[in-house]
Amino acid sequence: MSLGTFIHVLPGSVVDTEALLDSVLASLVAGVFVTVTASVAIFGFATAAEMQRNGRDLAAIGAGVLAAVATLAFAGAIVLGIAVMIHG
Amino acid sequence: MDGDVVLVIVVATALVFDFTNGFHDTANVVATSISTHALSPRVAVGMAALFNFAGAFISIEVAATIASDVVDAAAITPTVIFAGLVGAISWNLITWYFGLPSSSSHALIGGVVGAVIAAVGTSAVEGEGILGKVLIPAVVAPVVAFVIGAIAIIIAYRICARLRPGPVTRGFRLGQIVSGGMLALAHGTNDAQKTMGVITLALIANGNLPSTGFHIPTWVIVASASAIALGTYTGGWRIIRTMGTRIIKMDSAQGFSAQGAGAAVILASSHFGFPLSTTQVIAGGVMGSGAGVRVSAVRWGVAGNIVAAWFLTLPAAAAIGAASYAFTSIFGDGAAGPVILSVLAIMLGLTLFARRIRQGQPVPTV
Repeated sequence: MSLGTFIHVLPGSVVDTEALLDSVLASLVAGVFVTVTASVAIFGFATAAEMQRNGRDLAAIGAGVLAAVATLAFAGAIVLGIAVMIHG
Repeated sequence: MDGDVVLVIVVATALVFDFTNGFHDTANVVATSISTHALSPRVAVGMAALFNFAGAFISIEVAATIASDVVDAAAITPTVIFAGLVGAISWNLITWYFGLPSSSSHALIGGVVGAVIAAVGTSAVEGEGILGKVLIPAVVAPVVAFVIGAIAIIIAYRICARLRPGPVTRGFRLGQIVSGGMLALAHGTNDAQKTMGVITLALIANGNLPSTGFHIPTWVIVASASAIALGTYTGGWRIIRTMGTRIIKMDSAQGFSAQGAGAAVILASSHFGFPLSTTQVIAGGVMGSGAGVRVSAVRWGVAGNIVAAWFLTLPAAAAIGAASYAFTSIFGDGAAGPVILSVLAIMLGLTLFARRIRQGQPVPTV
């Protein structure tokens, strides 16, 4: 391919748009999901500790469960991401 | 016989490049963890090296792109690849010496393309592959990382808004151990594969591997993983200051968001075979996590300087790659040119290291 041809190639004809969009979408979903789950886990743990200090045991358990679920989701997302990478 | 000598030099040079890649990029990977005090510098660097090593084993899509979509392997020789590597390493060392963040990936691609153009002209350059798999993703990826970083920090701040700062800081510092590990894993998988791709390209060019049916020998994967991990462990402390604190002053939530954004973009792109500049993506995440809180918190002047350095990388590495090929060709087609250039490059590299050490140790902490 000559330099002239190179310059005149239209991006749309050479870019695998589907792969690029899939890549953008996967990044967006993964990045936001991981942040949401981590934030909810932190919220849950911090709230559970505060509730326990205030003697509100039931609320503390609820917040603890929320934190545990969010932590599992966070860990699951990481494991899933690595598994997808390894198994193509 | 000469071909095999040159091939050995190419493999050694590629591994040196991989080492300098790890050395140069350590700061990008660990800066956020260190600047938010989530990890001590020593632990952060050690962890990054370990995850870099592991990351090299999880995918080969990027290596396939480097070996088949950048230049025509059948039209070039190992000497051309050697000259390209010299261009990439030289640019890495220059930017390291002056403390400029740069892109090892673009330096590699620029160096190889420059040497190929000098050797056989533009006909052996896969323009469509470079445009579609390198240049366009290179522009898109940092922007996506910026957007994810910004969205992530807004969400994180909203969710944790009513909590006391202590537990939130501790929580995100813990999270940064994971996000920092993922970022190092992502860096290892994208960057080590570039070296694997270059070595594979040299093996194809020398006739050791068939040009059809892409395959990477296991020794190439292990050697590339080891070189980048060793380079990362040795570290490039000097650039930490730029990436970690000069773009924005971060808290742990911002550090987590930036690292998560960078890791997500690099891993997803690696999966689809896009050889990204990990430096650019991480900087995009860092700026996004700053801009998501307050646009004026980002020191755009520094970011602008970094962007200017990025624009220089491809042409500068290409020019050095082309000059390196021109120099080797003075000594004919045999091994003499690469041997002489290797000796000169080693001497120049050692001189730069000696000067850097005399001027004082690079920045150990942020």
